[in-house]
Amino acid sequence: MPDPKTLAALRSLVAAWTPPDWRNGVHVSTGVRAVDEALGGGLPQGRLTELVSAPGAGGQFVLAQILRTARAVRQRVALIDAADAFAPESIPSDDLRHLVWARAGNLRAALAVADVLVRDGNFAIVVLDLRDVPARELNRTPKSAWHRIHRVAERQPAAVLVQSHHGVVPAVGWRLALPRSWRLADQRSTREELAAALSVETMRGHGAEELAG
Amino acid sequence: MNFAVLTVPDFSLHALRRSEPALAGKPLALIAGEGRRAVLSQVAAEAIGLEPGLAVPLAMARCPAVILRAREPGADIEAHRLLVAAAFTLSPRVEATAHDTCTVDLQGAEDSRTETAMRLRCAELARAGLPARAGAGATPLLAAYAARCADPVRLVRDSAEFLRDLPLAFAEPTPEHAEILRGWGIRTLGGLACLPKAEIGQRLGTDGVALWERAAGEATRVLRLTEPVRSFVAEWNYEPPIDTLEPLLFKLRRYAERVAFELRAAGFVAEALTLTLFLENETDYRREFRLAEPGTDVDSWLRVFLSHLESLRLDANLAAVQLVAAPTRPAVKQDGLFDTGLRDPHVFWENLARVEAILGEGRVGTPVPWETWRPDSFTLEKPAESVPAAEPEPVHPRRGGVLRRYRPALPVLVELDDGRPSALSGAVAGAVCAAAGPWRGSGDWWRPGGWAVETWHVSLAGDGVYQLARTADGWAVEGVID
Repeated sequence: MPDPKTLAALRSLVAAWTPPDWRNGVHVSTGVRAVDEALGGGLPQGRLTELVSAPGAGGQFVLAQILRTARAVRQRVALIDAADAFAPESIPSDDLRHLVWARAGNLRAALAVADVLVRDGNFAIVVLDLRDVPARELNRTPKSAWHRIHRVAERQPAAVLVQSHHGVVPAVGWRLALPRSWRLADQRSTREELAAALSVETMRGHGAEELAG
Repeated sequence: MNFAVLTVPDFSLHALRRSEPALAGKPLALIAGEGRRAVLSQVAAEAIGLEPGLAVPLAMARCPAVILRAREPGADIEAHRLLVAAAFTLSPRVEATAHDTCTVDLQGAEDSRTETAMRLRCAELARAGLPARAGAGATPLLAAYAARCADPVRLVRDSAEFLRDLPLAFAEPTPEHAEILRGWGIRTLGGLACLPKAEIGQRLGTDGVALWERAAGEATRVLRLTEPVRSFVAEWNYEPPIDTLEPLLFKLRRYAERVAFELRAAGFVAEALTLTLFLENETDYRREFRLAEPGTDVDSWLRVFLSHLESLRLDANLAAVQLVAAPTRPAVKQDGLFDTGLRDPHVFWENLARVEAILGEGRVGTPVPWETWRPDSFTLEKPAESVPAAEPEPVHPRRGGVLRRYRPALPVLVELDDGRPSALSGAVAGAVCAAAGPWRGSGDWWRPGGWAVETWHVSLAGDGVYQLARTADGWAVEGVID
């Protein structure tokens, strides 16, 4: 057993203790190549993944691609919208038929709804959108609330994607960031072209070593 | 078998127990008569050492912990309605024979299905606090005899063999006839039925013939049919008024069970439930619950109620309650071979109801954009039970990022340069690097509420692309292209 004196050693120790299905689980494709590649195939089922993006950086675009991809394989998606910012008219209407949109409007309701929908078992993907929630309010969220969602997610087949403006989920398996904002010229490109061109940065990835190995 | 009988032994005792949660598991006994003549009429199994007919002082001496109560007419009526509703699930031809007994005309029904249905009804009634027994036979009388000695269901196919060992008391002879027959050595129905009917008539008269017919199970009669209920309503009072949730939920379950039985008996399911709470200060609170999946599952109903009632604050104590179920026919459908249905529909619909209780009505569902260019126009509809196949790709695919809306839109001041936005100030501020637009739309101009909007996409220096709208109210940032 390695001596956990360094961060790398500690990580490998945790990886050794982690059950195999945790690291090699099923992934759900997002339809964005860079995101899928960074996550080793897509959003991991039974785990939380965080996507950090500034306003205009493409967080909503990733959501649209998730809806489109899940629609093609007829899987259900739940969107818990803490800021009530989702605009249905900007998504093709056929890409909404498998969506359950919960218009929470505030953080407390969003977390309460997440607790219900993550444990539902009928959704392939649950998106918890916490963007535009005041940072002070987010920072006051007790860690136990996140721990509870982590534990609930582990027992369910849903992949949980948390969207935020800055990293908020403690002990999250994967945290990705969208570094670049759209330009006006991007509005002329098709969404397939944009999905292919979108870049992501990995801020945190528990499974990076395992994937590399 | 042409007839069935559903009966509940110690009916009033069970009716009282199912109306008062505090009596569960207690040594309870009902008394009949007043003053010194008061005796026990019905005794719960927990009241050890007591039996019906015992004088009250003696009963209290034998079992000091016994709770003595009189019959509760309101509880009896509610339990009777539950029993009748259960009987109607067996056949539409039901007679409310007594407050604790229903006789059902089963003619035309299959024996095997009838037995299964009777067992299910008995189990459901037992869960609802009424441990019923059911019997079926060729005549109403035979069915009643069968119900009396059922555990909990008994079907009589060979009446002679069934009656042979039944005690004579089942045929309710008069005291004189009982004495005479005891002298003859007749102690069972079978023994009496073996005697020639005419000889009995010569010695015991017409009453004797009637007794012989009852003993032989031959006595038949025309049922006095009861009309099935046409409205699915339950109402009850609290005296004194209550201020906690537990007693409300207890009775809500009891009454909901009856309403669910009545719906099923009529071939309906509930699509909506209206709960009205009448308060002590003579105001009321009414709430309609649209059930995501119409049904008669009382547990699901209660979860919907509980989700709402847990967060409800009332101005005064609760004095009375009314529950009304809106009936609809159950949906009959068959999924397609490749349809991806719900893994667990009950959990799905219950969770949706729970989410609606958290967020408020109309805040969860599947968004369906309207067929209009009016901004932010959509409805939230009930999610589909199965996800249909995707439609073919559109000829002109969508382009660009996706709007992330500000609700409400953020008012801004816009500087124009040659008719195009050049700078914003307000909630979103900055110099406009590039602008695309305008896209103009209008509609509903022929009626009040007409709209007209001019939309721009503007790129601010280092701060993304925003959607700007100009309406009669001025300029506003509708959202960010995200």
